[in-house]
Amino acid sequence: MSFDFAIIVDALPKMLMGIGLTFQLLIISAILGLTLAIGLMLMRISGKWYLSWPAQVYIYIFRGTPILVQIFIIYYGFPQLEFIRDSFLWPMFRDPFGCAIFALTLNTGAYVSEILRGGVLGVDRGILEAGSALGLSVRQKFIYLTTPIATRLALPAYGNDIISLLKSTALASTITLADMTGIARTLVAQTFAPYEIFISLAIVYMILTWILQKSLGRVERYLGRYMEK
Amino acid sequence: MEALVGWWDDYFWGSVVVAQVFICSLVLMVIFGLIGAAAKLSNSVIAQKLANGYTIVFRGTPEILVILLLYFGSAIALTSIAQIFNPEVKFLDVPPFWAGTIAIALIVGSYATETFRGAFLGVNPGSIEAARALGMSNLQTFIYVRIPEMWRLALPAFGNHMLSLIKDTALISIIGLNETLFVAKQAIGTTGEPFIMYIVVGMIYLAFSTVITLTVMGLERYGQRHMVNVR
Amino acid sequence: MKFITLRKMTIGLAAAFTFGGAAGASAETLRVGMECTYAPFNFRTSDGELVGYDVDVAKGVAEIIGADLEYVCQQWDGMIPALLANKFDLIVASMSITNSRMEKIDFSSPYRDSVGRLVGRKGMDKELFDSAGSPIAANFAGLRIGLERASTYESWFNATLPDADIVLYDGSEPLYLDLVNGRVDAIMTNPMKAHLRFLAKEEGSDYQFVSPAISEVEYFGIGVGIGLRQGQLELKARLDGAIKKLINDGKLTEYALKYFPFPIHNEEWGDS
Repeated sequence: MSFDFAIIVDALPKMLMGIGLTFQLLIISAILGLTLAIGLMLMRISGKWYLSWPAQVYIYIFRGTPILVQIFIIYYGFPQLEFIRDSFLWPMFRDPFGCAIFALTLNTGAYVSEILRGGVLGVDRGILEAGSALGLSVRQKFIYLTTPIATRLALPAYGNDIISLLKSTALASTITLADMTGIARTLVAQTFAPYEIFISLAIVYMILTWILQKSLGRVERYLGRYMEK
Repeated sequence: MEALVGWWDDYFWGSVVVAQVFICSLVLMVIFGLIGAAAKLSNSVIAQKLANGYTIVFRGTPEILVILLLYFGSAIALTSIAQIFNPEVKFLDVPPFWAGTIAIALIVGSYATETFRGAFLGVNPGSIEAARALGMSNLQTFIYVRIPEMWRLALPAFGNHMLSLIKDTALISIIGLNETLFVAKQAIGTTGEPFIMYIVVGMIYLAFSTVITLTVMGLERYGQRHMVNVR
Repeated sequence: MKFITLRKMTIGLAAAFTFGGAAGASAETLRVGMECTYAPFNFRTSDGELVGYDVDVAKGVAEIIGADLEYVCQQWDGMIPALLANKFDLIVASMSITNSRMEKIDFSSPYRDSVGRLVGRKGMDKELFDSAGSPIAANFAGLRIGLERASTYESWFNATLPDADIVLYDGSEPLYLDLVNGRVDAIMTNPMKAHLRFLAKEEGSDYQFVSPAISEVEYFGIGVGIGLRQGQLELKARLDGAIKKLINDGKLTEYALKYFPFPIHNEEWGDS
C-alpha cells in the first residue's frame, strides 16, 4: 500500500478553497436555525395547543428523518411542484446554495429547539419563585432569569449541534455545491486516489471541529465565570 | 402517484436492508461504546488516550466521509494486513453493507462512549457498597449492580444514539447499498418523479424512528417500574 | 438476545471476509460494477431487475466466456477507484475508452459508440457552435452547464471551454431534472439517452440539441468498453473475443434495437 503524499500536497490547497463555502453554509444555517429554534421553543412551552402542537409535529418530522433525505426532497423534489416554481421563493429553491441553507436551517432548528427547551426546563424552580416573590412579571422572569441560565445550561448540547451542523455541510456536495467535500470528490474522480484525498479531508474537518470545540469551551467558561465550581 | 406502482416491493426490501443494517450496527455500537467507556474509566493512561483519540477522530469527521473512507480504504488496508499473514491472498474486500454498518457503528459508538462513561459514573455508590457488604465479587457486582443501573441512566441518550444510527443508514446509499434511498434513486432513474419517491423514503424512516422512540419510552418506563420518585 | 446476534454477526463477518478472499479460485464469478441509475443502459425496473444495453452486453459476454455474474451498484465518480480497490472485477457501465483512463485501467475492445451532445432550450438567442462544429467560447458566457462528475463530457468541457460555468452532478438523471427546472441552461450528455428519455417525450418538447455530435477521440475515446484492472491479459483476450462474437452474431444490434431504432456500435469492430 503506497501512500502518495504528492497527491495530498496538490489536493489540499484545492480542497481548502471550499472552506469559504463550508463556513458560509455553517454560519448562515446556524444563525437562521437558532432564530427558528427560539420561535419553535416558545411555541412549545406556550401551553396553548394550537401553538404547541404544530411545533411538536414539525420537530418530530425533522428529527425523525435523515437530513440527506430532507436535502433531496428540497432540492430535487420541490421543483416538481408547480406552486413552488411559481412562487416568489423560487429564486432561493433554484439555487443549490439556497436549498442547502433551507434544508440545514430547518433541520438544525428542530434539534436546537429541543436543546433550548431542555435548558429552559432545567432552570431551578427556586430562582423563578424568588423572581415572583420580588414581583417580576412572567415576561420579565423569562427575559432576565430564565434566558441567561438556560443559555448556560444549553450551551454544551448546543455546541454539539453546531459541530453536527459542520459535518452536515459536507452533504451539500450531493447537490452540486463545491464545498470541501465536493471538491474532494471531484479530485478523487480525477486522480483515482480516494484514500489519500479522503484522509486529508478528514483531518481538515477534525482540525475545524477542534477549533470550534475550543472556542465553545471558552464561551462556556465565560458564561459560568460566576459559578463556584 | 401512479409512478409508485410496482416499486412498493422494492421499497419493502430496501426497508429490510435498513433494519438489517440497524441491528448489526446497534450491536457493534454497543460494543465499541462499552469498550471505549471502559478505556476512559480505566487507570491506564494509554487506554484513556486511545479512547479519547477514538472520540476525537469520529466526532470530528463527517459521516459521509467515514463511510467513503471505509468503503474505499478498507480493501487496501485489509489486503495489506492479510498479506502479512498469508502472501497468497489476492484481496480481502468489505462489501458495502459491512463497510457502511461498521462506519456508522464507529461514529455513533464514539458518542456512546461518553454516554456509557457518564452512566457508569452515575451508578449509586451506595448500591456498590451494599454489594460489597453482601460479599459479591467484582464480576458479580459488575453484572448484577452496575450494568442494570447504568442502562437505566443511559437509556434516554442511548435512544438518541439509536435514532442517529437509523438515520445515518440513509448515507450508506452513497456507496451503493440497496436500501430505501438508493431504491428511490433507481426509481427516479426510470420514472423521473423525484418528489414522491423521496417523500416515501422520508415516511419510511419516520416510521422507523417512531418505532424506536416508542420502544425507548417503553423501556424507560420498564426500567423505572420499581422506583417511587423519579425525576 | 444480544449474544446470539453477536455470534451470528461474527460468523457473518468471517464469511464475508473469506468469501471475498476465495472468489479468485473457484468457478468463475465476475463482479460487474455499474451505475444502476443510467437508463436505458443500466437501470433497475420496478420488478427489481437490472436491465439495459450494458446489462445485456455483460450477460452476453458472460455466457460466451462461461462465467457467472454478480452486479455491484456504484456511483459514477467512484467507479474507477472502486475497481482499483477490488470492489468488482469489470466495469460495464458505458465507460468510454480514453487515454487518461487507460493509464489506470485496461479496457476491452469497444462495444458501443461514444459521443456527446449538448441539450438546451429551444429558441436560445445565441448559437453556441459555429457551422464547422466548433464551440464559440464567447457565447457560453453567462450560461450554466450541467455535467456528470468524472464523465468524458466533463473532460471535454474542461479542456475546450475551461472558463465555462460548470455544475457537477453525481448522476445523469439529475441533469435532466435540473435542465427542466431551469437550474442549468444546457447539459452535455449522451445523445442516444437524451433522445429516448427526454426529447422524444412531452417534457422535452421545449428542448433540443444545441450542438453537433461531438466525438473527439481524445476525450471520448474510440468507443465504450468493458473496464478491467491492468495486468489481466488473458481475461482481456477472452472479453475481446466475446465482444467480437456478439457483433458478428448480430447480438449487439439485437440489444440496441430493444431500446433504440438503430444499432449503437460500429460494425467495423466485428471484422478481422
